[in-house]
Amino acid sequence: MKYKLKNWYLLIGICLFIIVIKFEIILNTYSLIFIVFELLIKNYKIAVLHLDMPLIDMFASSMLIVIMPAIAFYLRRKLKILDTKISITSILLLILLIFFIFAPLISNANPDFQKNLNETHLLPPFSSVEVVHLKTKQIVGNNIQSKFFALKSKIIKNSFDENIILADSMHFGNEADIFEKDGKLALPKDTIANSFGKPVISRMFYLLGTDEFGRDIFSRLVFGARVSLFVGFGSVLISLSLGLILGFLSGYLGGFVDLILSRIVDMFLSFPAIFFVILILAFFGNSLLSVIVVLGFSGWMSLFKIVRSEVILIKCKDYFITAKMVGLKPNNLLIREILPNILSPIIVNLVFQFGAVILAEAALSYLGLGIGNLYPSWGAMINSGQNYLNQAWWMILSPGLCLILTIYTANDLGRKLNLYFNPRLNNG
Amino acid sequence: MQILKKINFFGYIVFILLIVILQSCSNNFNKHPNAIIIGISSDIESTNPLFSYTVNEGDISELLYMSLIQYKWDEKSGELIDEPMLAKDWSWNSDSSSVTLDLRNDVYWSDGVQFTAEDVVFSFDLYSDPIVQSSRYGTFKTFEADTTLHIDINRTFEVESPFKLRINFKKNIPPDLIDLTVPLIPKHIFQNIDRKNLITIEKQIKPVTDGPFYLAEWQKNQAIILKSNERSFLHKPSGAKEIIFKVVPDYLSRITQLREGEIDLTEDIKTEDLKQLSGKKYLQLMPIKGREYDYLAWNNIDPESYKKDNKIVPNKIFGDEKVREALTYAINRNEILHEFLKDQGELAVGPIAPIFKNAIDTLLKPLQFNPKKAAKILADEGWQDINKTGVLEKNGMKFSFSLFIPSGNPLREFAATIIKNDLKEIGVDVKIETLEPQVFFERMFKHEFDAWMAGWSVAIPLDMKSYWYSDLKKTPMNFSCYQNKNADKIIMKIDSEKNKNIKNHLYKELEQIIYKDNPVTFLYWINNNVMYNKRIKDIKISPLGAVYHAWNWTLNN
Amino acid sequence: MKKEIFILLIKRIFSSVLVLFLLISFLFFLLRLSPGDPSLKYFSPDLSPQLAAKIRESFNLDKSLINQYSSFLLNLTRGNFGISFTYRIPVFSVIMDFLPFTLLFSITSFIIQLVLGFFLASLSIKKINGKLDKAISQISLIIYAAPTFVIGVLLVLIFSSSLNILPSSGLSSFENNSYPLIPKLMDNLSHLIMPLITLSLGGTAVFYKYLRDNFENVYNRTFITYLRSYGIPEKNIYKQNVIPNAINPLISIAGVELGILFSGALITEVIFGLPGMGRLTINAILSRDYPLIIGTTFVSGVLVIITNLVADILKVKLDKRLIKGLLN
Repeated sequence: MKYKLKNWYLLIGICLFIIVIKFEIILNTYSLIFIVFELLIKNYKIAVLHLDMPLIDMFASSMLIVIMPAIAFYLRRKLKILDTKISITSILLLILLIFFIFAPLISNANPDFQKNLNETHLLPPFSSVEVVHLKTKQIVGNNIQSKFFALKSKIIKNSFDENIILADSMHFGNEADIFEKDGKLALPKDTIANSFGKPVISRMFYLLGTDEFGRDIFSRLVFGARVSLFVGFGSVLISLSLGLILGFLSGYLGGFVDLILSRIVDMFLSFPAIFFVILILAFFGNSLLSVIVVLGFSGWMSLFKIVRSEVILIKCKDYFITAKMVGLKPNNLLIREILPNILSPIIVNLVFQFGAVILAEAALSYLGLGIGNLYPSWGAMINSGQNYLNQAWWMILSPGLCLILTIYTANDLGRKLNLYFNPRLNNG
Repeated sequence: MQILKKINFFGYIVFILLIVILQSCSNNFNKHPNAIIIGISSDIESTNPLFSYTVNEGDISELLYMSLIQYKWDEKSGELIDEPMLAKDWSWNSDSSSVTLDLRNDVYWSDGVQFTAEDVVFSFDLYSDPIVQSSRYGTFKTFEADTTLHIDINRTFEVESPFKLRINFKKNIPPDLIDLTVPLIPKHIFQNIDRKNLITIEKQIKPVTDGPFYLAEWQKNQAIILKSNERSFLHKPSGAKEIIFKVVPDYLSRITQLREGEIDLTEDIKTEDLKQLSGKKYLQLMPIKGREYDYLAWNNIDPESYKKDNKIVPNKIFGDEKVREALTYAINRNEILHEFLKDQGELAVGPIAPIFKNAIDTLLKPLQFNPKKAAKILADEGWQDINKTGVLEKNGMKFSFSLFIPSGNPLREFAATIIKNDLKEIGVDVKIETLEPQVFFERMFKHEFDAWMAGWSVAIPLDMKSYWYSDLKKTPMNFSCYQNKNADKIIMKIDSEKNKNIKNHLYKELEQIIYKDNPVTFLYWINNNVMYNKRIKDIKISPLGAVYHAWNWTLNN
Repeated sequence: MKKEIFILLIKRIFSSVLVLFLLISFLFFLLRLSPGDPSLKYFSPDLSPQLAAKIRESFNLDKSLINQYSSFLLNLTRGNFGISFTYRIPVFSVIMDFLPFTLLFSITSFIIQLVLGFFLASLSIKKINGKLDKAISQISLIIYAAPTFVIGVLLVLIFSSSLNILPSSGLSSFENNSYPLIPKLMDNLSHLIMPLITLSLGGTAVFYKYLRDNFENVYNRTFITYLRSYGIPEKNIYKQNVIPNAINPLISIAGVELGILFSGALITEVIFGLPGMGRLTINAILSRDYPLIIGTTFVSGVLVIITNLVADILKVKLDKRLIKGLLN
């Protein structure tokens, strides 16, 4: 093949694809950003009050979706990762990252959206339902504030919507008959929204089906990726700092400190971390934050060992003793001498750790001790799917696959990095 | 060559697998024509009624040990009827302060020793001794007791002959034989054992029983096998020769085994499985109604000031009964009932279950889902969304709170999600927080939450004081800290009232007050779905339990 | 040599005792300071609140922390871990009900992992980077990434819920005792097949990966080329040189793996309702059975330490130069 398919093609391709599909929403978001600026100047208080997380999230992803391809194009020769040929790992990694960053843009519903339960629950993949739009009160006035509200309600997907009805089919005679799974609903015609004399009807499409609450599994998967990656990054960061600091202290100071810290590490290694994690979560409550912290605390031991042995090794070397005599301070020493040496084993370790943490979070959610039900999580999705094993296989299939692919990606990345840092391994 | 050998090796494995599969296929369908097999979710800790803390332990000890009298549930009145068991007959004295019992003289313990009145006295002594920590400790309400709640044996029991016993009750209480339904244990076995260590060494004592069944074998984590005691006067020749409690921890396997005829009866079947199971002709569904309900509790008092100095101050949000009423209107309970419970239950109106036919006020109807009305009530109370954030406010305070639920209960997780969305529609911001059950219940007992969802089962006979009396020191189970002077008065009257009709009238009055106050939002009564194989005949499933008086069951294969 | 191993043993035992003591003391304080109340399960409509108070008293939970700790230590010196709150018998008797199963189950799974891993690796190296090798490698990577609970749930879905040919939980049928020997074993086997598959797949992938890479490394070394040039049959090289050299580095990994298995295959036990140490520990944690939590942790700590020690001694036996590193 003459032209190799490179990572940056893929990145730009996916971004453009999203832009094309979600063009209207992105455009609306931009105009909303202008309105917010205007509002900030005119009515500072109201603007700040309504600038909540989902809105900022939406702004950020709409901006990034345009900026990202540009940056990728600019850096395509400078960053080696972008310039290499695509592989399964890189495709998966890219998709995950894009899920992570552009979750509000990609998903077609709020992950918590539910309505007309008996109509929508446990729908298989590729099914859809009719959406009947009811007449809403027109927001009166043409001032900036009402413009803001009108536009915001178009962009931000809420977890509820009292102005629609989901149905199998409908028939418009004297009255609007709306057919649902277990009956008919007859509404006066004038309650239904009109455009040019025709009732406004759209379809809601469920790519991967719905769960027992009638929530869109695809949207939950996309937002679940956020949670998984967030937990992964967060706890790896904690492990990293703990391992670095304690390992350095232990190796550098030696003696009593070393003895105590090493024994503590032995203690943590002498029984499976999962029990420790479950114990803490069961006793002190489980939330997103506590899961991150506890998983971070349960994974620093191997890093500690790497750092400690490396520090001890370097401490005895000549150049280190010289550096000390010259008068460099310990933290300078850490940064200048030790860090470069331990960087590659640490990075490899962290990537593997990342996979392990995502797995652990899912396992905890499966046991009911995960991040709670404030945010969708793959493990929790599998857990609840288990109750509907006989009726809705899709409830565990897609989160299960996502989980396997993510962990596979992390492991593969770790392996590749290991080969990259230690090319000796490659040729045996 | 080597690969070929290995393929051979794999061949062996496949062969073994095939045998196993065929073997397990031919395994099914009942090999126990004379046994009833009951599927339970976890092993018991004890067969001794002294230490039967759980439902299954109670069921088993009831088959092994008899009591003075037994209860029967009267469907029509929703009341309990006393029936003879070890006591053949009894007579009240003129002011109903004592009862004289005629005991059976044909009952023998399994080691051949005869049952006498001494066993009765000893059993009550042991049950109420604080050092024993028996399951009935503290539950005896009709006997004189000392400060440690140990029954005053000498004053309460007068043994007139080995088979005649007089029991004196506490003064000024309504006559009631409730405390005589306790399963009795043999004195000659337990009298020489140090009471302090009884709880830890009880398992080493070989059970000596007098009931219609005896313990044949207890395979840990597998099964408890009871065999019928032909010497018992309750023995039925047409009854089951064996009752086997089979431990099947996994719910799905329990259902599969019920469907395949490997077990004959199991409880707590989830509603989504009822459809496939009811297709089987040999299975019969028999829900136990009206024992358990879920509720959405609003803390009536402010948790912080209660925690600080036990001060009772109305809750900032939920202290107002109008607000609580609005919240009840705003929640679509029917949707949860219909969607999750598949209508295996009914909307709850108050704390008295519909099964108590004489006590319940049938004129009270559950508040219907009506978000518009809810919004209006809240607006009248001053809760309005002035700054259009979608969340109501009053005096600068947002209407937003955390709803706590215990983890591991799919119904509550389901309901919480629905409730959260329902309330969001009327501008109430709810954050669901799931807590591990132990932590959850500890904090609930300390009244630390503002709002939470939990469940409770009603005691039979009815007990209102423990749950709805204002004084939080005396009623640790008034979780939502309901405060109402009128209700208190009625509750005190109920406890001392001797006339049944007046008592039932008082219950209705209390219900009306609670209906108006909405101390909690009563969600729904949840059926306990029991299913059994139709080869069991003469089975009566009452609110007293699924496995109740199982010696009356007969078998028809 | 013997003397050095002896010193190693003494040193290890001393530090292990210290670690275990640290572990259970840490747990003790963590448990007492955490929220939750072991007597809560005695609150029910059928039991009286006074009973819960009495039970708290009998668990010594009404005493001060220092008081509780000192009596805990005193009991410990007599080898007494106290009485389990749930089972109301001494902690060690409870553990003895669960430990044999866990030991048997984990050792079986361990053997399956090793044998299957070895078998696949030896298939793989027939032709390194051949089709078979690549296929097995990829599959093993995917299996390694698949969480235990996904595998377990899928197996239950296929073999129990849909096909109904294998029992989805428990250890044996309760009629088991009345069976003759062969059907009895078959009964046990049919109950354990899915759990063993679930538990062993991940470990098999790990062992396969290590063994395959080790095999490759050994084959690439110069001394194999020498041996070949001397005309020694390939079979002999494989048996006498390649296998020992490839297996050596595996020992410490195997030690760690076995240690983890001993503490209970938590998820597998939960899915299949097996009476193992993992589920015992979790149930103890969830019901706040403090003495039992400390007991199970202690036992799994001891098992981990022992397996690591055995792995180290094995390594020393095979390569005597290692003793210095281990001694320090």
